Amino acid sequence: MQVETDSKNTAPAADVKGSTQAVSALTATHIVRAIGVRKTFRMGDEEVHALKGVDFKVNRGEYIALMGPSGSGKSTLFNMIGGLDKPNAGRVFIDEVDIAALNTFELAWLRCHKIGYVFQTFNLIPVATALDNVMLPMLFADVPQAEAQDKAVELLKKVGLGERVFHKPVQMSGGQQQRVAVARALANDPAIVLADEPTGNLDSVTGRQIIELLREINQTDGVTVISATHDYKMLSVSDRIAWLTDGVIERFASRDELDIKEGRTDAK
Amino acid sequence: MSEMQKIVILPYRKVLQIAFQGLRIRLVKTFLVTACIALALAFMTYILCSNGMLAGIAERASDALQQRLAREGLLEQMLSTEQRSQTAWMLGIAMMISFAGIVNAMLISVTERFREIGTMKCLGGLDSFIVKLYLVESLFQGIVGTVLGIIIGVALAYAEGIGRFGTEALRLLPMNDLLKALFICFWAGVGLTVVGALYPAWRAAKMEPIQAMRSEV
Ligand SMILES: Nc1ncnc2c1ncn2[C@@H]1O[C@H](COP(=O)(O)OP(=O)(O)OP(=O)(O)O)[C@@H](O)[C@H]1O
Ligand SMILES: [Mg+2]
Repeated sequence: MQVETDSKNTAPAADVKGSTQAVSALTATHIVRAIGVRKTFRMGDEEVHALKGVDFKVNRGEYIALMGPSGSGKSTLFNMIGGLDKPNAGRVFIDEVDIAALNTFELAWLRCHKIGYVFQTFNLIPVATALDNVMLPMLFADVPQAEAQDKAVELLKKVGLGERVFHKPVQMSGGQQQRVAVARALANDPAIVLADEPTGNLDSVTGRQIIELLREINQTDGVTVISATHDYKMLSVSDRIAWLTDGVIERFASRDELDIKEGRTDAK
Repeated sequence: MSEMQKIVILPYRKVLQIAFQGLRIRLVKTFLVTACIALALAFMTYILCSNGMLAGIAERASDALQQRLAREGLLEQMLSTEQRSQTAWMLGIAMMISFAGIVNAMLISVTERFREIGTMKCLGGLDSFIVKLYLVESLFQGIVGTVLGIIIGVALAYAEGIGRFGTEALRLLPMNDLLKALFICFWAGVGLTVVGALYPAWRAAKMEPIQAMRSEV
């Protein structure tokens, strides 16, 4: 797994060359690149600086946890990376494409094909069955009905819900709903899965199952997983951890450093 | 991202399918909203029709009926300016209640689904898809509710008219005026339903997904 220092060494060299080759070499490593991202919320006269210039790079195939106390800006950064909200300053590149430069169609395409989202509150369509929920992104991607259905069933089996295909969200536990959300996130074979506190509303055992599910997807399918979390269980599966405090990234820690320093939390 | 293609614009057939599936699944809510529209329209149609009948008495009622009404002191009362201004008021208030009822029902049924709209945008749904979805949904509810309401309103107005004036009631409101009233009612009902749904849906579709998901109205 590529560590942060490595990517820092390659990036300037590529910039100097500026050739298309260098760009594609970059593409090969950084699936997400955020530069100087700032986000300010205005509430009446008061301004809340949720992100104060965040630089953030994610390698392809990495599992990265975004840790930090409540209110540190994790969700805000998550939303910027996922193209769910616009930064006030700075740029976000997904696969070296500046998402601010995308038109509505391209942005919808990106959300549909490149990124899978998992939310703390699951955000399933409440009236639709698990199957319909998983099929929805494929509908937007124009996958033929029969094919979409087969794939949705397959994905639901993969997340361990083969028996719950026709259940509606209200008929499922939180953990099961989150599994549906994970299956839905994988519907169009995204390169990135973004998960904002995927275990936030789950008990510790169910939470661990979701974390392990995400890790499995990351390892078997090579999907990059970016997860904002308070959950220390995430640390044991993450390749790298970004610590966010008060709107800035305080430091990065690689897995190896973590194993040494916080070996006790890494209960395997 | 050279392989990036534009997202598909779903054909109306597909949108229709999703909209009807949604309406069927939310059967109780669909029914309640449609009933609300029907009620408002029944009220409005009833008032318009029975007013039309009353207005027709002076010109079109037979002498026998006019004499009967005059004997009962009703004719004078009906034609008094006081009564007329009261009727105009009633009409205005009836319209306002109906309008507010329909727009309110639609606003609520859409705003309570803002999170769903935001989620759909996250999954690759286009703004236009969301607007179309709510257009189809509200058109359907608007047409069904309005037609039902008009039928009920006309039936009530004529039932009452026949009760008061006998079969002559059928002649009091000329066909042309009746059709004009129904035409107005139909378009008011469908128009208000669609506007009441599309305005919030369009607002939500225009938002960044996260804003739509966050606004709990
Ligand atoms: N829509 C908004 N309007 C105003 N302020 C906001 C908004 N969203 C976030 N904030 C503020 O931005 C800051 C960062 O919020 P954010 O939700 O990113 O934190 P977080 O790290 O995800 O916290 P948590 O762990 O509790 O989810 C907070 O101070 C919050 O109050
Ligand atoms: Mg958060």
